[in-house]
Amino acid sequence: MNTNSRLKVPAAGRNIRPVRFALLFFCCFVLGIAVLLIPPVQSVDLQFTQGLVALAHQIITVCGGHATRQGAILRSPGGFGVEMRDGCNAVNVTILLCSAVFAFPAAWKMKVLGIVGGAAIIQLVNLFRFITLFYLGQYSLPWFDFAHAYLWESLIVLDTTVVFWYWVNHVLRSATVSKTPASNASA
Amino acid sequence: MPQLKAPTRFLLRGSALLIGLLILWWLVLLDPMLSALKGAGDIAASLIFGGNSSEFMREDSSRNWTFRVPTKIIVPASRVMPMAQQINSIDFDVARTDVISFTFSLPVFWAVVLAVPGWRRNLRPFLAGTGLIALVELLLLLTFAATSAHRAAAAMLSTRMGAFESWLLRFSDYVTVLVVPYLAPIVVAFAVHPELRSGVLGWTSQDKQPSARSSSNGNLSVAAGNSRKSVRS
Repeated sequence: MNTNSRLKVPAAGRNIRPVRFALLFFCCFVLGIAVLLIPPVQSVDLQFTQGLVALAHQIITVCGGHATRQGAILRSPGGFGVEMRDGCNAVNVTILLCSAVFAFPAAWKMKVLGIVGGAAIIQLVNLFRFITLFYLGQYSLPWFDFAHAYLWESLIVLDTTVVFWYWVNHVLRSATVSKTPASNASA
Repeated sequence: MPQLKAPTRFLLRGSALLIGLLILWWLVLLDPMLSALKGAGDIAASLIFGGNSSEFMREDSSRNWTFRVPTKIIVPASRVMPMAQQINSIDFDVARTDVISFTFSLPVFWAVVLAVPGWRRNLRPFLAGTGLIALVELLLLLTFAATSAHRAAAAMLSTRMGAFESWLLRFSDYVTVLVVPYLAPIVVAFAVHPELRSGVLGWTSQDKQPSARSSSNGNLSVAAGNSRKSVRS
């Protein structure tokens, strides 16, 4: 059997309890989405969305592009406008990542690192997604619909999974490294 | 050339497969899948909501969909309608783009499973997961129809929904339309593919891959499930 074609399993992860992880992940995720939809949180979410659109507008302007912004709407000089709505701001996938990181057995320092670093990466990818959709929409509306509703959304979920994978690898490697001196000392 | 790390390889393969399979789905598979969803939806709706099995969902000339959910409600008399009226079913239109979202989890799931190295090892998870995802999509469609019918009934009866009921309906819509269709492929892939699960989360199923430990007499002690046997190396 060719070992290179298999996914490697880090040795330090063999004590993780799958059912506990799955239950905790599910509860955190449902709770996170439930809280997100409470009206006061929604108003904060809207402000965050407008902030993201403002940042995308700044990036486009700095890179020499032309766009005008009105709240959460970005418009091209040709008249095409794209609005970032709830569900397009990657908050739901950030909640997904936070739930997975929270449910995984790791030190709190690692969890904070995973949540902050992971959320930053997801938001960067989402900003790139929003800008590409802004330009794709000016080129073709049917392909904008396809990329907006299906392709980019799925890619962001896949990216989130891989960000979590890297974080788990980091946690398990740190656990292995921290165990090694002790086992050497007792040998 | 340095070998890429497993997560990076998975991301690259997964992204390429996702783009390819979603384009294939968009251009070729979408209409057959919608027909299959209609067939399965009609049967499931007749079992759950009752009524005629062929009337649950149908496509109109503008390619949008009309749903008919059997619900018995009595609309009280009003200024517009002087007599109380019994309604046996609620019809509502749903845009094609919204119905499409109940078919797209399948190509996403296929991309995730096929991104794991080893075509032969992926076959069983691929088939099992395809069945599971089809079931999830059907359940999502029925949930969506039920909540939409509930909202339409409340509008017909002019019933003011409480804050909690409004929040619950919004939560249900958000989860069925914006969360589960995107999340289900990953969750189901983890559930049916032991290699993906162990690779990402770093755990192994002890029943299938027993951990070997060396014992004091030089033999290998194999822990499989709850039983432990000694074997000679």
